[in-house]
Amino acid sequence: MIQFREGYYADIRTEDRSHTVISYKAGILEEMKTRVERQAFLRVYDGKLWYYASVTDIDHLQETLDGLYAAATENPQILEDPVVRRFERNRDAVSSFDGCSVRDVPLKEKQALLLSYLPLLSEDPCVTMPTGTYLDRNSRFSFQSSLGADIRYDYQTCGLAFSCSMAEGEKKFNGDWQKGGTRFDEMKGLEAEIRAAVAERTAFLRNSVPAETGKFPVVLSPEAAGVFAHESFGHKSESDFMLSDETMKNEWEIGKAVGSPILSIIDCGSVPGSGFVPYDDEGTRARKNYLIKNGVLAGRLHSAQTAAALDEGLTGNARAIDCTFEPIVRMTTTYIEGGDLDFDQLIAPVEKGYFIKTIRHGSGLSTFTIAPSLAYEIVGGKLGRPVQISVLTGSVFETLGLIDGLTKDVQLLSFVEGGCGKMEQMNLPVGFGGPFVRVSSMNIQ
Amino acid sequence: MEKEFIKETERSVTLNVTAGKIDSFRELEKTTGTVRVYDNGCIGVAGCLGEPDEKELTARAEEALAFGIPYPCGMEGPLALEDLREKEIIPIPEFIPTMQSFLDRLGEMCPKFALTNKISLTYNRSEYRNGAGRRLVSSGRAFNLELVVQNRGSGNLFDTFLGWSGDHFDAETLLAYFKKQYDAFYNPVDLEPGRYPVIAAAPDLFGAFLQHFVGDLYAAGASLLSGKFGQKVFSDKLTLRDDMNPATAPGVCFFDAEGCVAPDFRPTLIENGVLKGLLTTKKTAGQYGLPNLGTASAAYDGVPGLGFHGLYLEPTARSLKELVPGKAVFVVMASGGDVTPEGHFATPVQMAYLMEGGQLVGRLPELSVSGHFYDMLGKDFMGCVHDDPIEGSKLCGIEMNVEKV
Repeated sequence: MIQFREGYYADIRTEDRSHTVISYKAGILEEMKTRVERQAFLRVYDGKLWYYASVTDIDHLQETLDGLYAAATENPQILEDPVVRRFERNRDAVSSFDGCSVRDVPLKEKQALLLSYLPLLSEDPCVTMPTGTYLDRNSRFSFQSSLGADIRYDYQTCGLAFSCSMAEGEKKFNGDWQKGGTRFDEMKGLEAEIRAAVAERTAFLRNSVPAETGKFPVVLSPEAAGVFAHESFGHKSESDFMLSDETMKNEWEIGKAVGSPILSIIDCGSVPGSGFVPYDDEGTRARKNYLIKNGVLAGRLHSAQTAAALDEGLTGNARAIDCTFEPIVRMTTTYIEGGDLDFDQLIAPVEKGYFIKTIRHGSGLSTFTIAPSLAYEIVGGKLGRPVQISVLTGSVFETLGLIDGLTKDVQLLSFVEGGCGKMEQMNLPVGFGGPFVRVSSMNIQ
Repeated sequence: MEKEFIKETERSVTLNVTAGKIDSFRELEKTTGTVRVYDNGCIGVAGCLGEPDEKELTARAEEALAFGIPYPCGMEGPLALEDLREKEIIPIPEFIPTMQSFLDRLGEMCPKFALTNKISLTYNRSEYRNGAGRRLVSSGRAFNLELVVQNRGSGNLFDTFLGWSGDHFDAETLLAYFKKQYDAFYNPVDLEPGRYPVIAAAPDLFGAFLQHFVGDLYAAGASLLSGKFGQKVFSDKLTLRDDMNPATAPGVCFFDAEGCVAPDFRPTLIENGVLKGLLTTKKTAGQYGLPNLGTASAAYDGVPGLGFHGLYLEPTARSLKELVPGKAVFVVMASGGDVTPEGHFATPVQMAYLMEGGQLVGRLPELSVSGHFYDMLGKDFMGCVHDDPIEGSKLCGIEMNVEKV
């Protein structure tokens, strides 16, 4: 039983994480392991400085906490501190994965599932180096604070990632495919989907041509649109960037027009998937946060520190990649809301443009960048040949204003490998997605 | 049965900076242990967080042999080598006051810059030994300053970056260099689109190309370099290595995850334009008949995989002025670039200065730069300079197409 002291704020976050990786390259087993780690992150705040410790010895948390208290200065008024006053005092236990935990699936069964798919990667002789990976993670989190918060919840992801290095004559291409979910059973029965994905990538190797560079209308798939939303505007909504410059609040005033009137972007931690965060790493309950609503700045993402500094409410976005780091403001599942078109209606008005189907990576500051993997030309309102594009870029705000069409259906996706990076904390699991999105002009390079 | 034992310790103290003020202090200490055993052409691995119990790890690694992971490689032979760089950079109790004083001086010198992010001191120690008599120990300390800069009133999340990393802290040199950037930042200049020398840290321009040095892709014919091992494919001026030398890469371990030690602690990919190395492990090198580069990395409980530590280009000039006497684009940040399957490379440049005669002149608008893999490392490669403008920098110059975004 942890003994918190009066005159300080303190909290303790623990994670018990089970993580399985099985990978094959060219049919040969490369890795097969299940790692179980237990770590804790402790914070003490005295109203002036935060003192943090990251430990793997979770049997002696009291000693570590007492060490942080010794470094801090007692503050009898700590409960009046604006940051401390914002902390929620939730007490809850959320078990979403009882009965379907990946911890209960034998390693051999996971290996057999992966092995069953590997032959599908090599049916075309142009595939010279197929790789396949199975990954899962199950975490049990706990959070306790000196204010009385006491939360336990679980988290789970499960996925498959395939990569095919292809070569035929002078033509070369590395085609990737992945499927993320939260339950082992979701990874079964994917033969047709995988076979089709490989066929599309081999056709890309053989038939793709360099895209014409310049400014063209672009249609983004839900994957590309989700990454665009995340990179172009999601990071701008993380309000820790607003703390250093007092003029930022005026520049980012709620209610300001920032995009097309048909554009709404949401971040929500309660959506199932890799961005599922029912309570953030400060114990704040998840909620649905509009970042942009009908083209107007509607909100931003907060930790308790940023919410207090900007005098706004909590949003449930204080997250750390693990118990090595302190929570900072991060996204959860970020997506664009759907519109009123179907896909054929969306591309019909495009005389000459490009469709971005899958991407390798994206990034964004005032200018965003997306590096497409599979892309196609659009000619006369129809999809045409596959095309090679190194990157597409543009000014974020100009591009947000150029969104002129959205399909009805929204797809939400999860990363299997990788994730979101911010400063020192890389590969945070997040969800992303949206409808198919048409932008009247983007810069193709 | 053959066996390797590895122990790694990482300690760090990290300060968070918000609006030029330190608002948190974080201490981390992490020790990991690894045992790998090799038998009948297979590998078994066991790892732990915390102080390792070698006997228990060995028993678990032997059990893991049952997974049947092929790894038909022998141990590296006898060698005893230590490289210990344990000189204290700043005593921990003085870290907060020293850094706050530095930040206050920087703030007075650069009043329109709002500063955030991290300053850290790190300590790393790695020990490796195997049954063939190899015993290696590497330890090092590093100081890392990574400040994100917002130009007050710009409304931007990021305007530029002030950073440095090394094995010492020299406030006066850093302040003088940052002041030059500050002065140039507030002198906006323009540039007509065209061909210009682009000066950048090597990863900004070479990072996307590393995939083509991966031994697996090379062997599969899927690399732009496939079939060219041993051939002269790039500029005479280009010698490219992985920097595992703690003298130029403070805090980096001089041996790889399999106990391999390269001459001068810098395994070579390209030497005077000739393709001399590819990214391999001992296993993939054996599979494909390639020399092992000796840059493998591994999780504490994982099978060795491909690794790379940091780009090191042999210097060809003594100063930026010597490298590029005229006008050049000096890149501070270029994020998000990539290369097509045919080798066309393009990247946005979020922040750059105009440089003339080796001096920063003014801040350029956002740019896009592009080129082709073979040209950038071939006829358009101008060279590399070290220790300029401040000690520790390694900058390369390439003639590229430059456009405004």
